[in-house]
Amino acid sequence: MSHTAPAPTLKMGLPITNSKLGMWLFLGTEIMFFTAFIGTYIVLRMGSPGWPTDTNVTHIKIFWGGLNTFVLILSSYFVVVSHDALLCKQYKKSWNFMLFTLLLGFVFLGIKGYEYYGKFDHDILPGHIPESAEQAMEKAISTKVGLGAIVDARLTAMYPKQTKREDRKSENDAVTAKLKDKADATAAEKTELAAAEAINELNNEYISLKEHVRAKLSLEVPYANFDAIRKEENSASKYPVLTLEEVEHKIHELNKSKTVGPLMGGMHVSQPILYGNLFASNYFLMTGFHAIHVIVGLFMFALVLKKGSKLCVDDAYLIENIGLYWHFVDLVWIFLFPLLYII
Amino acid sequence: MSDHAVAHAADAGHEHEEHHSHGQLYFMVFWVLCGFTLMSIGADYLQMANKNILRAIILAVATSKALCVMLYFMHLKFEGAWKYLLLAPTFILAATIPLALVPDVGTHYYTVDVPQRYEYEAQEAAKKAGHAPVKVEHH
Repeated sequence: MSHTAPAPTLKMGLPITNSKLGMWLFLGTEIMFFTAFIGTYIVLRMGSPGWPTDTNVTHIKIFWGGLNTFVLILSSYFVVVSHDALLCKQYKKSWNFMLFTLLLGFVFLGIKGYEYYGKFDHDILPGHIPESAEQAMEKAISTKVGLGAIVDARLTAMYPKQTKREDRKSENDAVTAKLKDKADATAAEKTELAAAEAINELNNEYISLKEHVRAKLSLEVPYANFDAIRKEENSASKYPVLTLEEVEHKIHELNKSKTVGPLMGGMHVSQPILYGNLFASNYFLMTGFHAIHVIVGLFMFALVLKKGSKLCVDDAYLIENIGLYWHFVDLVWIFLFPLLYII
Repeated sequence: MSDHAVAHAADAGHEHEEHHSHGQLYFMVFWVLCGFTLMSIGADYLQMANKNILRAIILAVATSKALCVMLYFMHLKFEGAWKYLLLAPTFILAATIPLALVPDVGTHYYTVDVPQRYEYEAQEAAKKAGHAPVKVEHH
């Protein structure tokens, strides 16, 4: 007879599978990750009077955001249906609903891409948005996104071999002088001369506008007088100040001009948006990270779909965990939609 | 019986032999979520004078939607008490960052000295006076 008592059956930890516990712990870190963004956004927004809310200014599209909300809710529903069907051993139905979920994920990204296109098209990007009239005028002449960049692009296209802006300009001047003096110029040379002169004209307009913006002097004051004005005492108070409306009018005129208009590429002057950069940073940070999560989810769905006819009831945990992840992605959007699109 | 198999059997809702479909429940939750989404969009069209009430309504609707997803789609309604153990610390830590920022950004004694403030004040003054915004010099 043995005196040793039988060892009790020990069951350690939580009454769920390791994989499900792992997924929930991961989702816990994800909740903290997104709450940091969303919470910070709420606090910043509440502490910034004048935050942009007009959808015409922010180019937020409530309809498309609402449609994306519906798409994610429908996809979340399809995931639970897929899981439910698998547990009922309806494997084909389960696979089909997983496929529908994958397709809805692509639809979501497509709509998001369309929204992002609108933001890029209107230059609603962090660091690109003027927040005052001065910044709007600086942007209009900028060599990165303004008239300066247009002039540089035209000179580069015309003289790609030259590496410096000054050299391109010198070559353009030389070509203009050479072709102007040529009495028996061919049709091609005449076209080249017209192009070189148009670039010269555009460059002169750019320099004039740039100097007016830097000196903060109205376009009514001729650029030719600037040297004399600078020598005057208290010159700043004697002359009218440049306004954004004047700059807009000037760019409009250049767009309509027969000579330089075709070179302008339809440029327009950005309107100042108070807190626009902070808004754009928050928008892209939150929706961007959310979109990355959507893409990761699509890979997970593809993993399940790859099983094809081998999908069986043993995959229920896999689908449940993927579903948990996808519902979390849906949850994040449930808060992003009202915060970014409606409020 | 392996650990996996023990956990497998213990996990409610995965008793493969006796699973009853929850399809109708999920379908109902789906329509409730759609209804909440329409309420959010509809609230945007309400011309409420007090924007704070509107914000409270919209966030309450969003929270209700989130609860529906968590309780039914994520099965938390049917899970054991472990959900509190796991999620309570998460929510407490998650709330820490925004709460820690509130004193600096939301409830300070001083006036925030940023260029945007002067633009905003000029715009508001122009609105009251009934003319276009005036240009202001930044301090």
